[in-house]
Amino acid sequence: MASIDLDKMLAKVKASQWALADIDWDAPGAELITDEQRPKLKAFMADLMWIEHVGARGFAAMARKAPNDTLKEMYTYFHAEEQRHANAEMALMKRWGMLDGDQVPEPNKNLRLVIQWLDRYSDDMPLEVLGSVIPMLEIALDGALCTFLLDTVDDPVCHQAFARINDDESRHLGVGFTVLEMQGHGDTYIKVLKTIATLMDPRLILGIASYVPLLNRMRDNIIDMGLGEERLYAAMKKFERIGGRTADGRRNPWYQIISRHGRIVINRRHKLYHAPVDAMVRLTDRIPDRVMPSRMPTWVKGITYKPVV
Amino acid sequence: MSNREENIGGQKHPTPGKTAAVKKPASGKTVAKKAATKKAAARKVPVKKAVSKKAAGKKAARKAAARKAVPKPVSVLIVGAGFAGLGMAIRLKKAGIEDFVILERGERVGGTWRDNTYPGAACDIPSNLYSFSFAPNPNWSRSYSESAEILDYIEYLVAAFGLKQHIRFNHNVSGLDFDEKQGLWTARLAGGGTVRARSAVMAQGPLSNASLPDIEGVDAFRGKKIHSARWDHDYDFTGKRVAVIGTGASGIQIVPELVDRVASLKVFQRTPAWVIPRPDFQTPGWNKALFRAVPASQKALREALFWTHETMAMAVIWNSPLTRLAERLARRHLHRQVRDDWMRRQLTPDFRIGCKRVLVSNDYYPALQKDNARLITWPIAKLSENGIRTADGVEHELDCVVFATGFDVPKSGTPFPVRGRAGRELGEEWARGAQAYKSINVAGYPNLFFLFGPNSGPGHNSALVYMEAQLDYALRGVQRLMDDNLKLLDVKPAVQARHNKQLQKRLARTNWNSGCKSWYLTEDGFNATMFPGFATQYRAQMATFEDGDYERVAL
Repeated sequence: MASIDLDKMLAKVKASQWALADIDWDAPGAELITDEQRPKLKAFMADLMWIEHVGARGFAAMARKAPNDTLKEMYTYFHAEEQRHANAEMALMKRWGMLDGDQVPEPNKNLRLVIQWLDRYSDDMPLEVLGSVIPMLEIALDGALCTFLLDTVDDPVCHQAFARINDDESRHLGVGFTVLEMQGHGDTYIKVLKTIATLMDPRLILGIASYVPLLNRMRDNIIDMGLGEERLYAAMKKFERIGGRTADGRRNPWYQIISRHGRIVINRRHKLYHAPVDAMVRLTDRIPDRVMPSRMPTWVKGITYKPVV
Repeated sequence: MSNREENIGGQKHPTPGKTAAVKKPASGKTVAKKAATKKAAARKVPVKKAVSKKAAGKKAARKAAARKAVPKPVSVLIVGAGFAGLGMAIRLKKAGIEDFVILERGERVGGTWRDNTYPGAACDIPSNLYSFSFAPNPNWSRSYSESAEILDYIEYLVAAFGLKQHIRFNHNVSGLDFDEKQGLWTARLAGGGTVRARSAVMAQGPLSNASLPDIEGVDAFRGKKIHSARWDHDYDFTGKRVAVIGTGASGIQIVPELVDRVASLKVFQRTPAWVIPRPDFQTPGWNKALFRAVPASQKALREALFWTHETMAMAVIWNSPLTRLAERLARRHLHRQVRDDWMRRQLTPDFRIGCKRVLVSNDYYPALQKDNARLITWPIAKLSENGIRTADGVEHELDCVVFATGFDVPKSGTPFPVRGRAGRELGEEWARGAQAYKSINVAGYPNLFFLFGPNSGPGHNSALVYMEAQLDYALRGVQRLMDDNLKLLDVKPAVQARHNKQLQKRLARTNWNSGCKSWYLTEDGFNATMFPGFATQYRAQMATFEDGDYERVAL
C-alpha cells in the first residue's frame, strides 16, 4: 500500500496552518500585471476562486461521511483550507484592482449550477463519489490552473501565496488518493453494483450534468488566456497515474469511471463526447438569468479578501 | 439576584424548625452504639499518651504536649463542601454522627454553583428535582433555576442543618493516605497540617477544576480572557468585540446573555450539540403557596418530574424509537428557530442524540441569528496577539475571549494522590480508566467512599437523585465501621471486578459508546463516567449493602 498514515498527516495539517495575515498584500509587484493580461486574468481568477470555494463545500460533505474521526477532522480542515485558498485568491484580485469595491465576483453559470447542486445534493452522495470526484477536480482544475497562473504572472506576492496553496493542495491530494485506495480495497463485485446503483440516482445525474461542462469551460478559459490545453490534460493524466498506482486504487470503480472520463475529455477527436458537452457549455451561457436558480446558499457569502475581520 | 432574600426568608420551614428536626436522631440505636464506639475509640487510639502526660501535672509540659499531640481522629472526613459534601454531612447528622469535618479549599460552600456564576448559568434539570428530597424548597422562582438561586439553596442547607461548624474553609487537600495498622485515613493539607479520620468521603466533584484549553497562542493573546467557571464580574462587555469558544452546556447559556451587551459576538463551535426546548417558566405565586400549605403536592410534582425524566432514559441512554422521536423534536426546534439552511446544517449534530450531553435552550438559536452575532465553525488554528485565527486563513480581531470549554475531567486518576493499602496509588491504578464497586468503593482503599465516583453519571435524570442514593450507601458504610467496631471495610477485588464486567457489557449497548467523542469516554473510548441504566436501577443497586461483598477487619 502506498497509503499515508492519516493520523500523522492530520498532525502535519494542524501544524502547517497559515493565515492571510502572514502575507504582505501591499508589497511591491502588483504593477507587473499588464493591462493586456488584466481582463482575462480577472475572469480566470474569479473562476479559480469559485472552484476552490466549491471544492470547500465538497469537503464539508465528505466530513459528514468520513468513516473515522481522523478523516472527519481532516476533511473539516480541508474544507477550511479550500476556503482559505479562495480567500487568498480574492485577496490577490483585490491587490490587482480586479474587485468591484468589496464585491465578491459573480460565479459563471456552470459554477452556479455546480454550487446549487452541491448545496442540495452533496450531503446525500456516498463518500465514494465525492472521494473520487474531489481529487479529480483538485488535480485537474485546481492544481493545473495554479501552475498556469504561475507561468504567466510575475507578481512575487502571487508566487508567495501559491507556494502556500500548493503545499496545502499536495496534502489534500495525498489524502485523496489514499482514500481512493481505501475504498478500492475489498470486494469489487459489490462495489461495482453499488456504483451502478448510485449512478442511477437522478441527483447524481444532475451532478454529472454540472460537472461535465465545467471541465470543458475551464479548458476554453485556458485557451482564451493563450495557454496550451495540454497542461490541463497532463494534470488529468496525473490523476490516472497516481490514482491507479496500486491495485486497490484501480479496483475502485469510481476511479475507473473518472479516469476514463478524463481520457475522453483530453481526446479532442472524441466528437461524440465533445460536441454535446460544448453545446452544453454554450447552452448554459444562454440560460436567461431569470431561469437560473435565484437564491444562492449563504455559505458562498463566507468568502473574504480581508486578512483581519 | 433579586429573589435571593425572599427565598431564604421565605422558606416554609424556617431554620430553627429544621435544625430541631435534624437534631432528633434517626434511630436511638445508632446513637447508643455511637456512644459505645466513641468509648471504644477512646480506649484504643493515642489518647492514652496524652492522659499519661497530663498526669505529670507540669504546666509547661502540658503546653508542649498540646502543641505536639496529634489531634484525635474524627469519625468521618469529607473533601468538598458542594452539594455532595454537604449532603453527606446532613445524612451523618441525621444519623446522630457529629464528629466529622468538611475540608473545603474555597472560602464559600456551593462547589459547582459557587464557581459557575457566568451570566445565564442555570441548571438543566427542574429545580423541584434538582434539590434534596429531604429539604424541599417551596419557593423556587422558576421551573429551571439560575445558579444564584441554587447557591442560595445550598447556603440555606448549611444554615438549616447547622453545618457551618463542621466546615474548614481554605483547607485544600493535597493527598489522602491510609494507615492500615490503625485503620485511619490522613488528609494532607496544601498549607501544611493533616486531618485524620476513620473514614473518608471524596466529595470533591468530578467537574471542579477548570483551565484554559490547550490551543496554540492562548498565552499570546493580549485581550481579556475569561473562563466560564471563573467569571470576571467586573469586566464591562459593553461595546466589546467578544468571542465565545465552546458551544456546550455553558456556552449556550452564555451566548444569549452576552449578545445584547457586546458590539459583536463570534461563537466558535467545534461540534454542535443536540438542543431541545426548555419548558421554562416563572413559578406563579399560587403555586408557591400551595407547596407551602400542602407539602405533599410538591412531593407529587417531584415524583412526576422524576418519572418524566426516567422515560427520557429510553431516548437518551439506549437507541430506541424514542431516540428517533427525541431527535425529531430537536430537529423541529432547530427548524423552527433557524431560518437559514446552511446555518441549520452547521448546527445539526452528526451523532446520535444522547451520545453527548443533551442541551436545553430556547434562546440560544435566536441569539446566534442576531445582527451582531456570528457562528463560526472553522477550526481554530491559533490565538494571536489580537484575536483568533481560523483555518480559513482569517484573523478575528477581539477584545475578549470567553472560554466555555468545560472542565478538566480526571479521566485517569484522582485530583490528588490517594494511597491505599500497602502503598498502592489510585491514580496509577486508574490510569487506564477508573473502576469502582457500585461507583462508591474501590478495593484496596478501605473506609473510603466516593460520591460521583466512576460510572455514577446520569444522562437523563437529576444528579441529586443519584447522589441521595450514594449518601445513604456511604452512611451505611460509615455506620458499619462504627457500630461493628471495624478497622477496615474493604470491598473484595473479585466482587468489584465482577461488577465492572457487567457494567461495561451494559455500557457497550448505550448511546454514549456509539461512536462520538465526549468527555464521558477516555482517549481509548473507555466509559468510566456514566451509569448504564435508569435512575431507578441505580437506586436499587445502592439500596442494598451486602456485608459479604466486603473484607471486614475488626479493630
